[in-house]
Amino acid sequence: MSQKILLVEDDAATAAYIAKGLNEAGFTVDIAENGRDGLFMASDAGYDAVVLDRMLPGMDGMAVLAAMRAGGIETPVIVLSALGTADDRVAGLTAGSDDYLVKPFAFAELLARLRLLMRRKQGGPAVMTTLAAVDLEMDLLSRRVKRAGRTIVLQPREFRLLEYLLRHADQVVTRTMLLEGVWDYHFDPGTNVIDVHISRLRKKLDEGGMPPLLHTVRGAGYRLGLAD
Amino acid sequence: MPTEAPDRLPDLQPRRLRFGLGSATTRLVALVFGVQILLSGTVLFYVYAATAREVERQERAVVTELRDDLLAGFRSGGQPVLARLIRSRLAAAHGETIATLVDADGRVVAGNLAAWPATVTLASSWRIIALYRLGADHAERMGVIAAALPDGGKLLAGRVVETNLKLVRINSEAILAALLAAVPLALLMALLLGRIVNSRLHAVSATAAAVASGDLSQRVPRDGSGDAFDTLAGAVNTMLARVETLVGELRIITDGLAHDLRSPLTRLKSTLERARSEIADPGALAALESVSTEADQVLAMLGTALQISRAEAGIGRDMFVDTNVDALVDDVVEVYGPVAEDQGVSLSVAPRHGMVGLRPLHRDLVQLALGNLVENALKYAEGATAITLAAEMAGDSLVLTVADNGPGIPADRREEAKQRFARLDPSRHIAGSGLGLALVEAVARLHGGTLVLADNTPGLRVVLTLER
Repeated sequence: MSQKILLVEDDAATAAYIAKGLNEAGFTVDIAENGRDGLFMASDAGYDAVVLDRMLPGMDGMAVLAAMRAGGIETPVIVLSALGTADDRVAGLTAGSDDYLVKPFAFAELLARLRLLMRRKQGGPAVMTTLAAVDLEMDLLSRRVKRAGRTIVLQPREFRLLEYLLRHADQVVTRTMLLEGVWDYHFDPGTNVIDVHISRLRKKLDEGGMPPLLHTVRGAGYRLGLAD
Repeated sequence: MPTEAPDRLPDLQPRRLRFGLGSATTRLVALVFGVQILLSGTVLFYVYAATAREVERQERAVVTELRDDLLAGFRSGGQPVLARLIRSRLAAAHGETIATLVDADGRVVAGNLAAWPATVTLASSWRIIALYRLGADHAERMGVIAAALPDGGKLLAGRVVETNLKLVRINSEAILAALLAAVPLALLMALLLGRIVNSRLHAVSATAAAVASGDLSQRVPRDGSGDAFDTLAGAVNTMLARVETLVGELRIITDGLAHDLRSPLTRLKSTLERARSEIADPGALAALESVSTEADQVLAMLGTALQISRAEAGIGRDMFVDTNVDALVDDVVEVYGPVAEDQGVSLSVAPRHGMVGLRPLHRDLVQLALGNLVENALKYAEGATAITLAAEMAGDSLVLTVADNGPGIPADRREEAKQRFARLDPSRHIAGSGLGLALVEAVARLHGGTLVLADNTPGLRVVLTLER
């Protein structure tokens, strides 16, 4: 059964665009056009995730979120907002949203974050001491990385980056997700900062003619795993 | 490392009112003090003068009476009676009476002076002179009156006033002592008054400083007395309420603007994205790509401009969290390190003289500010080989420095560089919004601090001072 997503968005064009993309990605999408309907539908608890616009007619997105959480509905929520300042993001997260995305965003960004949220919900990450993907292994205690038995020497920043990628192996990870997840950066450094990090890491991982593990997903981000 | 005087910046820090020379408070205190001293001095001088005059008046009355008695004696029996009268008076008196009779030839007939004093003429009425009495070994001051006798002789009546003069002197000393005691008291009172005025005004200036640094909810405490200070406090509070309303409206407008501009841009971006996934023509794709980049640029500028306005309005002061400053700086170097290396620039943290540790900061904004500064250095410091970051404490202030060894900015263009949309590169061939430094300065102000561009000899040293 496909996963169900509730989209609360008053702007019809944006709603249609998101719904279309989510459908293509294999999700079932219900749309609510205002906060009140959104809250009513979310109370159904049958959804795997909620995409909630912050500025809504009738009932503000933050109020919907507060009412949901007060009502014991723990469905993961991504807040979409045209308010892009750091303060608004922090306010959104403290109000109980699981993620916060500033408009305009690339659809791939929303999709990647939604998938991350739903996976996190399914199985909370157990305390792990090793991470692995394909023939790559990471020992979190000794901080050693091996590929097919060969030790790879990484700088601390490369280690942090690879750890995040391994924790989200086989998922599309966007640049901003990396910035947030690895360095707790909540702004776009603007230059190709992340690309340079990735290309260095990739060089080390694929050294000696190994098949590539770290792939660039066009228009979205990166994915660690076997080639499609 | 060479240091240079930082650019002069307006001092926004709240400071205690001081008793500086030439300050209004000092003038007030001096005025109060002066008036009090003048007043006490006048009163005391009047008391002194009145006392002295009264003492002399009494002396004069006694001497005049003596003269009249003696003249009456002369009138009743001529020179012999007068001489007898003088002798008896002198014998009976307590040694303070002066009486001397000389005949027409100037010889002393009777009395206790050896001769007629040369300085006393018959024209002189009451006067005080120092004379030797018969048998005395020192001169005494005496008040005397001279009178002419019908037989051509002369009579001098007088009284030694030494004791009374001493009394007047003691009196004046007491008055002087009183005046001296009045000086510190007057000073104390004046200073006390100055303090009261100062503390009342300090409440106003402290509130103004707090508001200037972004806490718009501050108000001057009122005592409800309705006096001048209370009225001033009321007027200031009314003004602050108005300012707060305006800033609140600004926030609503900017938020609304952000929303209203972002929504169409969002639709524009989604349309572009959809189009890019559906179009195969490479020419059209390139055009879409370029439009998309431009849209991103507009969005980024809009976001930054909003960020600056909010920080300037002090919005976000409630978002300060204790932040590990050393780790924050390390992270900036870590994030931008590889990009810098690719440009052949070494990005590093300056050797530390101790850790800064936790400081309450708007973490995201300080991170953004440092990131902007590093990006600026990478972008504009052509030929630079090293960019160095440093975080250190200077007293209570946190000083964050980003220094490069590139061409630097001439001293006369540094202020210009900080303005919004300022771009020193005349051809504008390097992409950028011109908002970077303006945002960094706004972040500094949000923290009650300053942004200073200085010479790194060679290169540019950007110094961000955060107060709290």
